[in-house]
Amino acid sequence: MNKSSSYVPKGLYPFKTKLIISLALIVVISFYLLSSIKTESFIIDFFMKVPNVFGLVGDFFPPDWSYVNQVWPKLFETIHMAIIATTIAVIISIPFSLLTANNVTTNTWIYQLMRFLLNIVRTVPDIILAVVFVGLFGIGAFSGIMALIIFAVGILVKLMSEVIETIDMNPTEAIRASGGNGLQTISFAIIPQVLPQFISFSLYVFEINIRASLVLGLVGAGGIGQLLNKEINFMNYPAVSTIIIIVFIVVVIIDYISGKLRGGLI
Amino acid sequence: MIEFRELSLIYPNGTEGLRNINIKINEGGEFVVIVGLSGAGKSTFIRSINRLVTPTNGALLVENEDILKLKGKDLRRLRTKIGMIFQSYNLVKRSTVIKNVISGRLGYTGTFKSILNIFSKEDKLLAYENLKRVNIEEKLYNRADELSGGQQQRVSIARVLTQKPKLILADEPVASLDPPTSHQVMKYLKQINQEDNITTIVNLHFIDMAME
Repeated sequence: MNKSSSYVPKGLYPFKTKLIISLALIVVISFYLLSSIKTESFIIDFFMKVPNVFGLVGDFFPPDWSYVNQVWPKLFETIHMAIIATTIAVIISIPFSLLTANNVTTNTWIYQLMRFLLNIVRTVPDIILAVVFVGLFGIGAFSGIMALIIFAVGILVKLMSEVIETIDMNPTEAIRASGGNGLQTISFAIIPQVLPQFISFSLYVFEINIRASLVLGLVGAGGIGQLLNKEINFMNYPAVSTIIIIVFIVVVIIDYISGKLRGGLI
Repeated sequence: MIEFRELSLIYPNGTEGLRNINIKINEGGEFVVIVGLSGAGKSTFIRSINRLVTPTNGALLVENEDILKLKGKDLRRLRTKIGMIFQSYNLVKRSTVIKNVISGRLGYTGTFKSILNIFSKEDKLLAYENLKRVNIEEKLYNRADELSGGQQQRVSIARVLTQKPKLILADEPVASLDPPTSHQVMKYLKQINQEDNITTIVNLHFIDMAME
């Protein structure tokens, strides 16, 4: 009954798999070590410099609450920038998202051209856009708004064209069959299908714009980021921590409200 | 009058949709049923008439006009005269019933007005009257996706009527419905055909229903 087997499997994986995994591990570790040596940054430094971290964090406390009154105007400027930029970006992105959806723009040349243009727009980081516009229009909120518009259009068009590409095309056939023209087909058969997602994405882009406009301030593109940058340069750390706390609270509140609104839409 | 002369259609992928079709359909209230297996070319036949597909050879005359060369505005003018009913109803599911029905007026309404949803009083009355004809007027403000299949097909009949067509094409109008609902929908189609004298061409794949 107990016929003894002459072959005992050596491991749970074949030899070849083990070899490949071992080699991959060696390669990853060597690249890691090479990168660390070349940049002279070792993760162990974090633990060596922990006292420094505590020292700096200590400078931030206690927050300077008397500074709050200087924060409000700039905070509202940030929100205004996000509102203006989002509104304009939403309007601009409607035609562009239709042009980058392959079920609406059936002409391959136009479709590929529009996609190419929007891919280029998306590869430019928001901070670079801000640097460029500050160079063109000078320091201030206007440059920030311009940068945010382009940044937001890039995101919105990408998200929206993908939604448009997944819609049910049968109703568009019915509208065309009853003699409707292109714009009528879009407004009667396509817009109703994508409107909830479109509003939802617009709110989402508004959230992103609020956060992005903080960073843009660092290069002089208006809003509360500019104030933050100034106080960091003056090493006025208690004021910096006041700004950070207020921004944190405001961003959380806006994200919460917008999240609730979006939840109700879909 | 609709006349197919030596009409052929070969799809871009090489599939032959129609081969040398010759047929005359008189206007003035004929009720024509086309029966055939799926893949036989019934849909291609019916979709040629309003140019949702374009035949590759021959001539297709609607009211003595060869429609194969129509483009843009002329094509839309032809399509406003021809109503179409689909197997999958093709309503805009997120829109209300009345908005779906009034979309039958798009061919007669300016682009700008229709985008802003401005329709004349007569158009709105017509849409409502047509909903009444298919006994679904109480669902006026319901969203189309809240309706059952049979109700949706009735809404799509009301949409076609609102178009005031001279010809109705129905491409497998009852293929997604159960037998009692199918009979009801066919009854409405026949009733409209008789009362309004609208020539109707219907695709079916059931012989028994075609015989009725």
